[in-house]
Amino acid sequence: MDEYGGRGEMLEKVIDSLNNELNLSRRQFLKISGISIVGISTLEPFLAGANTKPVIIMEQAEGVVISDPTKCVGCRRCELACTEFNEGKAHPDISRIKVGRNVNYGPKSVYAGEGAQGNWGGGLVVQDLCKQCPHPVPCANACPNDAIVIGPPLNARVVDLDKCIGCKMCLRACPWEMISYDSETNKATKCFLCQGKPKCVEACPASALHYTAWNDYTNKIPPRVVPTSVMPPEKAAACNLCHKK
Amino acid sequence: MKMAKYGGWAGKILRVDLTSGRSGTEDTVEKYKEVLGGTGIGYQVLWDEVPAGTKPLDPANKIIFATGPLAGTGAPCNGRTAVTTLWPTCWPKPLVATGHMGGQFAGELKYAGYDGIIIEGRADRPVWLSIINDQVEIKDARSLWGQGIRRTTLEISQQVGPETVVAAIGPAGENLVPMSVVMNSVSHSAGGVGSVLGSKNLKAIAVRGTGSVRIAGNKDEWEKLVKFHLSLLGANNQHVVPNSPQPWAEYYNPATRWVASKGRRWAAANPAIDTGSCDPHELNRLAYRTNNAAFFLGELAWRYTVRGNGCTSCPIRCHTMLRVPSVAAKYGIKEVGQNTCSGLQFGKAFFKNFPDGPRGQTQIEACMVGMNLADDLGIWCNYGQMQRDFQKLYYDGTIKQKLEENEFKSYSWDKYEKGDPSFLFELLPRIAQKQGELATVLGLGTGYVLEKWSLSEEEWKKDRRLMYWKMGHPKHHANEDAGQCGVIINTQYNRDAQNHSHCNFVRNGLPIDVQKGLAREIWGSRDAVDAAGSYTPMNPYKAKMAKWALLRKELHDSLALCNWMGPWVASPLKERGYRGDDTLESMLYSLATGDKKSAEELDLVAERIFVLHRALTIRDMGTKELRTQHDSIPEWVFRDSNDRPVYTKGTIHLDKDDLNLALDMYYEEMDWDKSTGAPSGETYQRLGLAKIADHLGRKGLLPQSRGEGKDVK
Repeated sequence: MDEYGGRGEMLEKVIDSLNNELNLSRRQFLKISGISIVGISTLEPFLAGANTKPVIIMEQAEGVVISDPTKCVGCRRCELACTEFNEGKAHPDISRIKVGRNVNYGPKSVYAGEGAQGNWGGGLVVQDLCKQCPHPVPCANACPNDAIVIGPPLNARVVDLDKCIGCKMCLRACPWEMISYDSETNKATKCFLCQGKPKCVEACPASALHYTAWNDYTNKIPPRVVPTSVMPPEKAAACNLCHKK
Repeated sequence: MKMAKYGGWAGKILRVDLTSGRSGTEDTVEKYKEVLGGTGIGYQVLWDEVPAGTKPLDPANKIIFATGPLAGTGAPCNGRTAVTTLWPTCWPKPLVATGHMGGQFAGELKYAGYDGIIIEGRADRPVWLSIINDQVEIKDARSLWGQGIRRTTLEISQQVGPETVVAAIGPAGENLVPMSVVMNSVSHSAGGVGSVLGSKNLKAIAVRGTGSVRIAGNKDEWEKLVKFHLSLLGANNQHVVPNSPQPWAEYYNPATRWVASKGRRWAAANPAIDTGSCDPHELNRLAYRTNNAAFFLGELAWRYTVRGNGCTSCPIRCHTMLRVPSVAAKYGIKEVGQNTCSGLQFGKAFFKNFPDGPRGQTQIEACMVGMNLADDLGIWCNYGQMQRDFQKLYYDGTIKQKLEENEFKSYSWDKYEKGDPSFLFELLPRIAQKQGELATVLGLGTGYVLEKWSLSEEEWKKDRRLMYWKMGHPKHHANEDAGQCGVIINTQYNRDAQNHSHCNFVRNGLPIDVQKGLAREIWGSRDAVDAAGSYTPMNPYKAKMAKWALLRKELHDSLALCNWMGPWVASPLKERGYRGDDTLESMLYSLATGDKKSAEELDLVAERIFVLHRALTIRDMGTKELRTQHDSIPEWVFRDSNDRPVYTKGTIHLDKDDLNLALDMYYEEMDWDKSTGAPSGETYQRLGLAKIADHLGRKGLLPQSRGEGKDVK
């Protein structure tokens, strides 16, 4: 146990993953964290000082679902399994894997022209999946109620339904449009990895989905949209503690 | 939010009156629970609301798009929408019939909150129907009128969004060509109904739904049941045996649609994908088992296969997407196309010969050209009857004789005879536009072709190669697949029978001995089934199988399960002795809706639906004498071209007296009057259709009551 009750180890893991991009040494990081290491736990936000709102730093997820579009046959059984076997209702609109929106014309939608994919284009069906983002987790940081938290056992980024107020800010923050709003519960929902046995992977009849150890795909898979900037200014200010040179 | 009593159903039926422009909803469960959905709702609406004597293109005719309680769920093979109306190509008098489309329409309609749509009246100008959840609008379609199905779909999707599912008619439907379709999701059509929509000035129905379908039962039980169902699936048409030897397989049968194998590749995928050996326990490889392009067009089709495609929720991808680069330069069409079975072969089937033979490159190009044209113009093939008629009429000289010289010369017959697919550009657009005598007549459907050109139906009924059955329509899995059972089934409908319950069993690829073992469990005797083309005389178990097949078809069409895939009474699982499960439909229905029904109880509902179809046929024909005036068998069934005796191995023809006995046994099994083939008052009563019996009784359309007419054995 270190002086932070074991939390320092987690911070080290986080800092290790951030290290390449931010060029911070562990020592620098701990210095910063030393002034602010109040509320870090697997479920609590990283509080960054008196004048700022908490910025959420999360432990890396341990798993992620990846896909092979060349194998997708567009049946959407993944979307149905995701919602039926988890919520007991067939509700593809809130599925945490998204295929239906690409089935007809592909990610570039009806305006793709010659470049159209999907059934009406060249045939390719792209499956959209949650990247279980590393820090900064856009959906979590956009949430005014800190309702996107990490869930055991895999540190998936999950919606805490008790905290979610259904404001949809997270929907606008995700560059891959992977958060859904369930109009029947008035809550947001997102991929939570099904305790390491994702229903979508199990349901795919074409072996086009795989569950694998987490890896950072955020810089490998192009975003669908430029997210609306929804981070509260107080949180943005907290970012400066690490990111401002 | 108040939770609905039942799961499965979306809960509402949308009713749209195009004459007044008004729309409203009705409670599905309250009004239609006793007929489930699909064809059940379709028949019920026609019985209640469309009087005898109505013509298909009258504003008083209605057209019902209906799914069922399982559509949109994760139950495998539920992507079906039944389209019911008075059938324009039913000859000599239009009667009730149904078309069935897969694709994405059914699920999307359920997610929008509807189990079905009843369309009535006629708009005063071209319109399309926009359904976005509870927002229903009738929109101006004047700019879409005249456009193909592809462009119509794109322009509507630009307005509503890329996830929209558009079911549209093409120019053929607009021009009231009876041989026309409504089509969604590129290649999923309901044949025969395009002109009914055209007559109502309804160009398209666009649906977008963001809601859900609730599973009433426990979600873990549902998950188990769905996985159980998946474990019983075969390839397309529930063929449970691979068509080539596989490391895991006890049997193989070259006739099945289970064509996957190591080395057979979706070669136009980028990069290519090997379909592999597809052990039946590997549920993550279900989608690779079927390639209907390879099945119908031969080995060459693998080279052009991009992937399998099909309906929402179905792991069996029976539509095959092909990329054939040569067609872009040669014919100026898109190099990607997709369809299955008759739709896939729409263009090919017109030709007798191809320069490079029946399994070469040109036949595949003919398929690509045919799909490109027919699936955009919205032309129907009537299960290939249009093409068989065309070949006959050309090669026997009828076309030349019937056309004015100028019109005859306007076609490049040399191209046609050589098997040049570009001939289709001369023919198909003219059918859709009703240009000239030939194209106009072909677009009428066989019965009306014969009538218009004073040809004899008897001649069509004699020629086995024409596959013609009756009432303007062909056979659909008759004696070539299931002997007397297939024949009985083909007598029952007002178009081709579209029944797969029986053929999906007898063609499943299992050795006959295994089939007979299963048959004893399902229908009570090994004698219920014969090997195809090795028939034995009629027996009561064949009649039981026929009844079962008919009821299961109507059950599937009303639950929104696919009768092209079900029932699932055999499986690929050796450890189960290749058994499937005959109670699967009732388990799925009970768990999804929360309305617990045993297989027997659900079969009774199916019987009610099927008898409703019978009652509608009797009412609209104005006679109860269906045995002699409706349930007819074409002469070719009784003939063998090599004069082999009946029941000889290798011949599929059957004996006339034996088939009379077959009908006797079938009517008895159905509890119908044997002399007329009509259900008795007691039968209607038993099925909860007393009001229908009253109506028919008043019109003199009930057979003699029981005791007077029925033989007691």
